Amino acid sequence: MLYDQLASLVHGIVLSVLRDPAQAEEVTQEVFVELWRLAPRYDESRGSVKTWAVTVARRRAVDRVRSEQSARNRLDREAYKRVAEVDTVVEAVESTLDQARVRRALANLSATQREAVELAYFGGHTYREVAVLLEVAEGTVKSRIRDGMIHLRDELGASA
Amino acid sequence: MSTNMNIHHLAAAYALDALDERERAAFEAHYSACDICSHDVGDFRATLAEMGGAAATAPPTALKARVMQQISETRQLSPLLPANVVDLATRRRRVSTSVLAVAAAVLLIVGASAFLIGRSSQGDTSFAGSLERVLAQPDSHMVDLGAVSGATAGHVRVAWSPTTHETVFIADGLATPANGKAYELWLIDDSGAVAMHLLDPAHHGAVRRILSMDATPQKWGVTIEPQQGTTVATGDMLFLGQA
Repeated sequence: MLYDQLASLVHGIVLSVLRDPAQAEEVTQEVFVELWRLAPRYDESRGSVKTWAVTVARRRAVDRVRSEQSARNRLDREAYKRVAEVDTVVEAVESTLDQARVRRALANLSATQREAVELAYFGGHTYREVAVLLEVAEGTVKSRIRDGMIHLRDELGASA
Repeated sequence: MSTNMNIHHLAAAYALDALDERERAAFEAHYSACDICSHDVGDFRATLAEMGGAAATAPPTALKARVMQQISETRQLSPLLPANVVDLATRRRRVSTSVLAVAAAVLLIVGASAFLIGRSSQGDTSFAGSLERVLAQPDSHMVDLGAVSGATAGHVRVAWSPTTHETVFIADGLATPANGKAYELWLIDDSGAVAMHLLDPAHHGAVRRILSMDATPQKWGVTIEPQQGTTVATGDMLFLGQA
């Protein structure tokens, strides 16, 4: 069943962005209701069901994190540094092999690419916010995200 | 966003959800019509799905019942009324069987939620029931027919299953044909166009029909014919789709 197949994936993604278990559970529920609502319009030419579910889950989680946190908080560099130091490694119960692959792929990025990608990926930050947080030009962040994603694609593949 | 060159470079940030609302909207308006960006976004999203798998964490078991409950009270968007899908024109016409696998998976959820709340959808003879039966077949297909001339109003979709020999015809927003005329559906194969049925649009140009089918279609077409019907298409093909 769709829920059983995707529950851990969707919940894991939402949790990695939101970090708060109660909120993650709430948003996971929203994601499944959204997938249900959109299912008749799912278009296979745009990607697999897994990719579709991940796209919806990330979008929901990121939108939630942005609406919950004030813009001021999100751009607080000191707060970012504190969080970055104790960055939660998302506790996973499955696919340790996948984890190793992903960790290796992230490790193979340059430090600046990794930082930019991770701030967007885990923090739900826009590239403009990333630029403020890292105190570098927006164009630079855009390039780092793009180059980083291209490396990840080449390493992890695009066949999900 | 001064040039298109710049916008192409946003595919990675878009896939990562790292654009603000304004740029996200601008990119969305651009990318579905841009082969390069659609391809890039598809690739990056697949990569992110790979990465996402590494974070898989089971949710509390109680969540499933809540999801089922809410789904049972939530209406799905209709696949039959795609008029408000913004990028319909750029979508590939052919929707393959794995879409139907999703539809089937979703139907399982309906079944499960019906079970959970003590209802049964068995013995459903409604149009929706027939549609579900056709879509549940592993060999079912669904295709949107394209308007041959851009000026033709309406959306036409056909789903069929060789196993059940059923064809589901769904149209919306068709113009009312002239007096004495009616729409006719054609199954087109090697031997030519086989008349399937005359179709009279109801209110707002909507048609819902379950038809039986004996041949294997290569294409589907819709013309306007005299209302008593013809066995050979005389009108221009108004809608056409590859089976």
